[in-house]
Amino acid sequence: MRTTILLCLLMVLYVAVNAQRDVYGMVRNQEGEALYGAIVGLQENVSVAASTAIDGSFKLHIPDNKAYTIKIIYYGYKQLVYKLQEDQSGKLDFTLEEDIYNLEQVVVTGTRTPKLLKDVPIVTKVISREDIVLQDAADIRDVLQTELPGVEFTYSMNQQVALNMSGFGGSSVLFLVDGERLAGETLDNIDYSRLSMDNVDRVEVVKGAASSLYGSNAVGGVVNIITNEPKEPWTLNLNAHYGSHNEQRYSGTLGLNGFGFTNLLSARYASCDPIALKNDGDYSEIYGYRSININDRFTYSYRNRFKITGKVGYFFRERDSQETSHDRYRDFSGSLKGEFTISTQDDITVAYNFDQYDKSSFALLDHLDVRNYSNVQNSLRAVYNHTFGKKHILTVGGDYLRDYLMSYQFEGDSAHHQHTADAFAQFDWNPLKQLNIIGGLRYDYYSDANLHHISPKLSAMYKWKDFSFRASYAAGFRAPTLKEMYMSFDMANVFMIYGNPDLQPEKSHNFGLSAEWGTRHYNITVMGFYNRVANRITTAWNSALNGMKYVNMAPLQIAGVDVSASANWDFGLCAKLSYVYTYEHIALGEPLLSSTRPHTATARLSYGKRWKNYQFNIALTGRWLSKVTCDEYTSLTDYTETEKVTYPGYTIWKLMLTQKIYKGLNLNCSIDNLFNYIPDYYYGNSPATTGTTFLVGVALDIERFFKK
Amino acid sequence: MIKRVSFCITAILVSLFSGCNGIFSWIYDPAPQQTIFGFVETNPITHSGTIYIDATDYAKWTYINLAKMTIDTCDANMNVEPAEWDFAIHRYDVKTNNGAAMETDYTSINQIIESNLNLSGTFTPDTFSKVMVDVSDMMNGNIKYADSYINPILNRWLNVNTEQMPPIYTLSNKVYILQLANGQHAALHFTNYMSSTNVKGFITIRYVFPIFNS
Repeated sequence: MRTTILLCLLMVLYVAVNAQRDVYGMVRNQEGEALYGAIVGLQENVSVAASTAIDGSFKLHIPDNKAYTIKIIYYGYKQLVYKLQEDQSGKLDFTLEEDIYNLEQVVVTGTRTPKLLKDVPIVTKVISREDIVLQDAADIRDVLQTELPGVEFTYSMNQQVALNMSGFGGSSVLFLVDGERLAGETLDNIDYSRLSMDNVDRVEVVKGAASSLYGSNAVGGVVNIITNEPKEPWTLNLNAHYGSHNEQRYSGTLGLNGFGFTNLLSARYASCDPIALKNDGDYSEIYGYRSININDRFTYSYRNRFKITGKVGYFFRERDSQETSHDRYRDFSGSLKGEFTISTQDDITVAYNFDQYDKSSFALLDHLDVRNYSNVQNSLRAVYNHTFGKKHILTVGGDYLRDYLMSYQFEGDSAHHQHTADAFAQFDWNPLKQLNIIGGLRYDYYSDANLHHISPKLSAMYKWKDFSFRASYAAGFRAPTLKEMYMSFDMANVFMIYGNPDLQPEKSHNFGLSAEWGTRHYNITVMGFYNRVANRITTAWNSALNGMKYVNMAPLQIAGVDVSASANWDFGLCAKLSYVYTYEHIALGEPLLSSTRPHTATARLSYGKRWKNYQFNIALTGRWLSKVTCDEYTSLTDYTETEKVTYPGYTIWKLMLTQKIYKGLNLNCSIDNLFNYIPDYYYGNSPATTGTTFLVGVALDIERFFKK
Repeated sequence: MIKRVSFCITAILVSLFSGCNGIFSWIYDPAPQQTIFGFVETNPITHSGTIYIDATDYAKWTYINLAKMTIDTCDANMNVEPAEWDFAIHRYDVKTNNGAAMETDYTSINQIIESNLNLSGTFTPDTFSKVMVDVSDMMNGNIKYADSYINPILNRWLNVNTEQMPPIYTLSNKVYILQLANGQHAALHFTNYMSSTNVKGFITIRYVFPIFNS
């Protein structure tokens, strides 16, 4: 009997040991180069996964003899799927194909969870790292204006930069960096110069309301900047640019990756002399500036189970705005994020974010640097995802934000603060292979305004052959800011501007409908959108107070069509054309004060070719903005009379040549405003150009010189 | 592992409480509480000094007596002025007490102190003009003016270009020679039109008086 039991046990043990097997091999690209850090794993059992070593090798230890699907994932390359047969083991080498058409592009902004771009039911525009490099962009303004029609950066009072994105201003478009909000604003716009493009992996843009996921400010769209993570053991990039008007940019980036740790340290200095304009205008000179941007990002990940990300950043900008004093802007930021994979179905993210944006005035004679504005935001966030049946995802989460604001625009330079909290839920439902439906709901609370707000959304996508059809409804809202509630500002001893604690939140309803046709080489997307925006917050003259006061304005409707077409051919030629028509309508008798240009378009034609030791890409980009006619009050204190004012349209073209010369040496040259457009009169919304300008840049990827 | 998590939570809480209202406030200078106006610096050896004036009120003229080193203010709407004064400031307007002025090529008071001045230029007396005395209803298009003399040469010290918003302020940076009614001369260098906290209408004047042993 004992012998029988022993034999049975040995047999079970023999079967179990025999059932285990190893699969090992190499992961390379089409040029035969080893890919370090590629993920190789079983789709059906995520606990069996490995990342490739420096020589591209991997080894999977599979506990049984069943058939599995092996997935090989590496950023910038098409995902590879391999069907592993029952009992199959031994050597398996994989070759990954570069994903030059971004077919496998993963995005997060539309749903707050990673999802393939082609599978997202919310139209998301992605500006890739390659696009950014091709433009040699200085900051987010260059990128958005060049890539997206309907986006215009203009000057408001005192040359402060203001955004208009298809009818929505800076306070109605939410800017995020890796999903986190940015502190500070000037005339309702964040400091866009903070957002340099040095270590950006991609920029995701969702047009339309997204308050059900992101809360306040996501009325007209969300711009999410996703930063890079080092993938090679070490990288060192040094960069220098010099251009017209003594424009200078110098930057360096050091990336390290090993033993589960990554670190990316980057530093950047930029400056430009004042630019005297050639014709009359609302301003005669563009202020000179200097800026410094230092960021460090640290990650530690353990067996794909959890990942900790820490970031710190410092930003400084000085603007030569006055003869006897300069404006200074600083930002201090830090964050800590933990991402935990609990099981194949569950993951949770917890994050803390700190962002402080200061403004100060530096008196040149006294050498005094006196702070007059400080916005400090502390936020906590938790997001939990649960996957049902491998395809339906429930996302729930909540945020807490403490918002502190000290400002020269408050009485006696005093400070105010408020607490905001929210909870949200979203269900990503895939009832059919071709059909995806996402519904979401968010509740927001603002302490000082005692504001409770619910924001719903519903989006659907249906795929048929090479077509994707999307339809969405989303609500947007913007809570009154501390500035808008409590301002008490003496405007040059002439009049006062008063805040209004009784302001109602801005509310919007956004409807979108789109059709997309895409193949490996071609893509055409047509999107229609309609927004109804109520209670938009603005300032108006108040006769009783004999000053300006923040008020809610009459409902505004914004509708339009967005068309884009692109083509990529294997021999290196790419073409892209995008156009947006925007129509704004306000109730009869109410003035339409916004100066949104009805027709805008962007275009890009590029050609590139690669040899063993040389690579070049030449790109011609252009943007066309039509003229716009809008209402303006004949007097700031008379709300009965308006006059029509027309601002001229313009076209700006840029020619860029980027070259990779021997290993890690890169040389860039660009000619901006190629056809020498100079405004006859410099309005706030005229391009701040004095004509054709030149910029040359040298970049060294030091690690490439050490590669065989 | 538990220790690491506890450390992270503690670090987060410490950051939360310490950084609620901001960090690094020590890198900034405190806002100067400068409420002393008049002759804030004097050097009896070089007969030089600094005058600091609050000229934010459109309804006031500030009168300066160089010999007695005193300042006084009078309502710009009323036709009154102190018994003794040498020159006066109203916002960025300057007038003299029956004196005259000349612009030099010097750009600092120290250059005046260290040089032998040549007074071969022409001195220009005040001219009749109007100054703004009430802008509180400016947004309704109503600005009140009052008659006054101003000195067209001294008024060059600051160019205010109001064709754009905000206006562009440009200092001439020139040193001006003020000739008093009694024949004495003073050198005036207007160095700032703002306070240290960027409020416009606070005027800093570097001066030498008397010069030329006059």
